[in-house]
Amino acid sequence: MADELVRVIRDDEARVNVTWKMQNGDLPDPVFRDSSENDVKGWVTEAVRNGGVPGIPADRDADFRDFVVDRYPPTEARPYNLIQLRPKTAFGWSNMRCPNCGQVHE
Amino acid sequence: MIETGVVISIHHEPIFWHEPGGRSGGALPDSRTLWDVLWQANRDGWLSGFAHTHPGGGLPGPSREDISSFVAIENALGRPLNWWIASSDLTVLVRKALMDSMPGREVYGRSRVADPIWVPELRKRSQMGSPYR
Repeated sequence: MADELVRVIRDDEARVNVTWKMQNGDLPDPVFRDSSENDVKGWVTEAVRNGGVPGIPADRDADFRDFVVDRYPPTEARPYNLIQLRPKTAFGWSNMRCPNCGQVHE
Repeated sequence: MIETGVVISIHHEPIFWHEPGGRSGGALPDSRTLWDVLWQANRDGWLSGFAHTHPGGGLPGPSREDISSFVAIENALGRPLNWWIASSDLTVLVRKALMDSMPGREVYGRSRVADPIWVPELRKRSQMGSPYR
């Protein structure tokens, strides 16, 4: 009998990984692979605030509004889709997102 | 002039010159590579902060884009960093004002500093990328 049940991640699902306060962890359950960035941020925010990400202590002030989502297809070493939430690293005065259309203008 | 960045070690040395494709005279685009460098340097205990150039001369100040990236990166790393901004003739150091900051309401202070030793190279690389040099 297995000590641990491992949930298989389907092709249309993805593991979500997040970095917060120098700790890194995965959401316990996979999400739909094509989930929107806002949905991913919402789920991660709720999970981190409530201590729902193994490896990351609960932080009621967790805020991921200035984080971005990277999406990676399966690899030989990691046979499932991966969504990673990391801080944005954009700088400068001219690449602010337009409040009207949401696009970045030069 | 084209915006250029550099990751700085605790020994005041450049670790990584950040000259990504897609940068312009007013912006450094989001970069997974820069985040990977910051994460690794911080994990190895080498990271002091990040510097970037702003166009023109005079006393530079952080943009809203700069500040929101400072906050996000510091939240991910779990500690404040040093953030230098260099114009063509002056350099400032921007740091989180710990006593005045609250989660979601971070406050940053700006101090004029003498040019660190790596600033001339940063300005040079910033000029080299310019079509107007």
